[in-house]
Amino acid sequence: MFELTATPIDPADRARRLAAPEAGAAVIFEGRVRNHHLGQPVTHLEYEAFDALAQAEGEAIITETEQLYTGTHVHCVHRTGSLQIGEVAIWIGVASAHRAAGFAACRHVIEEIKRRLPVWKKEHHPDVAAEWVNCTTEAATNLTLSAYHTRHASLPEVGAAGQAKLTAARVLVVGVGGLGCPAALYLTGAGIGQLTLVDGGHVELSNLHRQLLFTLAEVGAPKVLAAAARLRLQHPAIEIKTHQGDLTATNARALVAGHDVVLDCTDNFTSRFILHDACQALGLPLISAAVHRFEGTLDVFQRGTGGCLHCLWAGRTASELEPQENCAGGPVFGPAVGVLGVMQAAETLKLILGLAGASAQQTRLVNLLDGSALTIERLARPDCPVCRRLDQLPAPATAQPSERETIWINDAQLAALGPTAKIIFLLEPGEMAPSTGRSNFLAIPAHDLAALREFVATGPVALSCRHGLRSAALARLLRAEGGPEIYALKAAPDQS
Amino acid sequence: MAETPLQLQIRFFAVLREQAGCSILKLATTARTPAELYAELQKSHALTFPANLLRVSVNERYGEMQTPLTTGDRIVFIPPVAGG
Repeated sequence: MFELTATPIDPADRARRLAAPEAGAAVIFEGRVRNHHLGQPVTHLEYEAFDALAQAEGEAIITETEQLYTGTHVHCVHRTGSLQIGEVAIWIGVASAHRAAGFAACRHVIEEIKRRLPVWKKEHHPDVAAEWVNCTTEAATNLTLSAYHTRHASLPEVGAAGQAKLTAARVLVVGVGGLGCPAALYLTGAGIGQLTLVDGGHVELSNLHRQLLFTLAEVGAPKVLAAAARLRLQHPAIEIKTHQGDLTATNARALVAGHDVVLDCTDNFTSRFILHDACQALGLPLISAAVHRFEGTLDVFQRGTGGCLHCLWAGRTASELEPQENCAGGPVFGPAVGVLGVMQAAETLKLILGLAGASAQQTRLVNLLDGSALTIERLARPDCPVCRRLDQLPAPATAQPSERETIWINDAQLAALGPTAKIIFLLEPGEMAPSTGRSNFLAIPAHDLAALREFVATGPVALSCRHGLRSAALARLLRAEGGPEIYALKAAPDQS
Repeated sequence: MAETPLQLQIRFFAVLREQAGCSILKLATTARTPAELYAELQKSHALTFPANLLRVSVNERYGEMQTPLTTGDRIVFIPPVAGG
């Protein structure tokens, strides 16, 4: 319930009307007229509202808040006219089953009112002329913001000019999960001017260990709304746009257009290919990350530089790749998505600032279990249909990769390669070789590239590793060097 | 071909109302977007408030400064708000 009123608000009466048997919590906020502002004494205030829009906007804020915080019921009344010191200018009451949602909803309503309700106030002072709040030159130049960014802008690599570039930048984050939360948070802190969030999901309890924009109060809420509310609290001037829905082949180009940099924080290959293809088509840089358990990869895709996502996966389609790396619902080490998401933010900022960033011709592999990092060349394949013909992007579902281009194989396909085919298991530091009883199985340290090259020269090899990430990456690397008979095995041998 | 003027209604609030010296204005204009309209009003009504700090409402909904206007539209230029 939202109401504009020209008559005094009676808080006791309002509180009585908030009572409900199912409400275990009632949270009340009163905004009162204060006798000073920015060091100036204030004698009284005058509130003016654009009534029709204020009523519609106030109702919209309440509807959104009740959607964002499950089980809350919001009452809000805003004054207009002349108010004396100590009078209640706005009264917000939230009845809810539990306290967390109640406090969060109440805070959300006042923040949104301040941001978007078309209401203005004029301050009257005893000695100087009255003025409309937020409409003075001082408000326009905003000294607070330069103090906010001072520790960042004082880096010689950033400076005032760099900070202005960040303020002018428009960044798209697709996926507001384990990667998207830290990425968006650091982009917000850096003062990116406009951030667009795309995600069709809702906050779940099992998200909270790694998606730290969300708290218990937001469980059940649409992710983009919860994230936008949290990020707006972080930065006073950020403009956040939200798309509450999934990225699809139909809407991808429209969502991507109008941005300077795009972050791929998705958790599945279907979305990843759609987003990548839209960015390639529009010539926008894409900062992509993916995480499997303790390990993650980071790629910067720039049209015309290095291999594209189709080159990287040797023409395999999203549906072929999905079983190996679909992490939706799977186990994941919280800090791994945190580190990779923050790395995405770092690459985005450097790109906007014009600083040398991660090469667009390399894949970075980061392992949070053993602390190692590995950089692998990501070369363009001369026969890649996507790099070659950007205007006629094949739909991932209809692409037909030849057997020659296939990185992943299963046990049966391996056996078909003949009696000399070997499985090489890549050991991470401290890891014991699994015992399989197979004669064609051997284990070597993952970093021993010289030994790997020797084995590849002797006949067909299928690489395997604990998580399937490093084996595929090294198989692609060795193929690029000219070793055709190399594959990655679909399941670790002791699990097959 | 000369463009047909649009008939528009503009309401002013707060600092803009004081600068314009009126609350409601009806006019015929060749402006085709709120941005063009505000530039015209800055000249005709001595509005000094900077355009880049304004939002706009078209027919009681937030709109864009570049949204095309049509005859009969009700326009409100919205300076930075200060509710609460």
